[in-house]
Amino acid sequence: MDIQAEVIRACGKIIDADFRQDIVALDYVRNVRLHQGHLQFDLVIPTPLFPSKMLLREETLKGVRDLPGVSSVEVRLISEIRGQRQDAIAGVKNIIAIGSGKGGVGKSTVAVNLAVGLAKYGARVGLVDGDVYGPTLPIMLGVQDAGLMQNEKGIIPIEAHGVRLMSMGLLARGSTPLIWRGPMAHKAIQDALLHVDWGECDYLIVDMPPGTGDVHLTLVQTVPVTGAVIVSTPQDVGMIISMKTYRLFEQTKVPLLGMIENMSYHHCTHCGARDEIFGHGRVRIEAEGLGVPFLGEIPLVRQMREQADLGMPAVVLTDTPMAACYLDILGRLTAEVHLAQRRAIPVIEEAAEEAETFSV
Amino acid sequence: MLSPTPVAIKKHGRQALSIVWKDGHASRYDFRYLRQKCPCAACVDELTGRPLLDPEQVPLDLTGGAITPVGQYGLSIAFSDPHASGIYHFDLLRAICPCERCKEEETHGTHRRNSD
Repeated sequence: MDIQAEVIRACGKIIDADFRQDIVALDYVRNVRLHQGHLQFDLVIPTPLFPSKMLLREETLKGVRDLPGVSSVEVRLISEIRGQRQDAIAGVKNIIAIGSGKGGVGKSTVAVNLAVGLAKYGARVGLVDGDVYGPTLPIMLGVQDAGLMQNEKGIIPIEAHGVRLMSMGLLARGSTPLIWRGPMAHKAIQDALLHVDWGECDYLIVDMPPGTGDVHLTLVQTVPVTGAVIVSTPQDVGMIISMKTYRLFEQTKVPLLGMIENMSYHHCTHCGARDEIFGHGRVRIEAEGLGVPFLGEIPLVRQMREQADLGMPAVVLTDTPMAACYLDILGRLTAEVHLAQRRAIPVIEEAAEEAETFSV
Repeated sequence: MLSPTPVAIKKHGRQALSIVWKDGHASRYDFRYLRQKCPCAACVDELTGRPLLDPEQVPLDLTGGAITPVGQYGLSIAFSDPHASGIYHFDLLRAICPCERCKEEETHGTHRRNSD
């Protein structure tokens, strides 16, 4: 009996909900071995988020334990984050832009927590503060006083909570404003992407400023962005402006990885009652209407703001509703990143020497 | 998103560029032809769309150098003349495919299907 074939057949019925595909088609099942009734194999998942795959592992165990000749089963989860082939920033596998239309929707807070969340589960993560005029990320990560150093490869990003950060806020410190015209902002964002020693990086997250301006165009023209996430509040005015950002990504062929509803609801600090301050559910409806994945909703929580001001992103704490909320979103996001890689543009190749008779 | 998606992009020496699209269609462009179709603001009036470049003025011996991807949506080409400011969106490249079939469809006014 061919145990490999039996395992593949059994696993072919197990669906990874994030991808809506079976785990054989997704190429998870590897290294199948059977030794004296003990079946061993690996599930190679394209995300660092093991918790989101524990159920899948359980399901897989159940699916194979009754195969003939099998008395015990051991399934190892192995994370292998794949990336797009690109030459713009060596060592960086995936570039994710976090955008919004309107300012003040909590985009930077979301970007920081997504980055720290990914790092917490073992991914190598870089974070670029795309807001050259109002950089807040150094404060949220508690490194506003850190000094930048340089090596022969470029600026060394500042590491905080497992994330490598590059921000204009690390150059113009304190209350010093940067009073720049567009071309300077363009140059600054190019430097922050290309002249930084990112090292090996699974995900490079770019927190974009609000709107659709220089920084956005520079980003999409300088590097092959794997995909973008739009953060919006459920409030109408926020949604309408977010649509402009959606069009920007659409026109520049940046795949939309999904939309997140921030400030989705608020639990009263005193009585615990739920209050939908900005309305609720509008982002999900818009995303579904556009055929874009809805990644999840994040409530408005006082603790979140307090922690951000202290430089302690909410996701650092485990076993909080907020951490669970982000874990959920990251599961879907990393799945979408993996799917987007398959749609990326091919690398330009030099054709092999051929008969020139083919040319016109 | 309905837009042409390339699955292979090849540079044929300094003479030509070829693209295979997702629908299987293969396009091949001479660099001189691409230079004549440059969409940049110096070659096409931004407001009126009126061509500012006389195609006959493009040198016959023009060649192409480096091709760089522009994000996920287009290509930038450094020509020997040495113009390099046009961004060739994949939409544009698909629309100006010089093959017989595409030219015929264009003259008959039939709408070409998007390749995605």
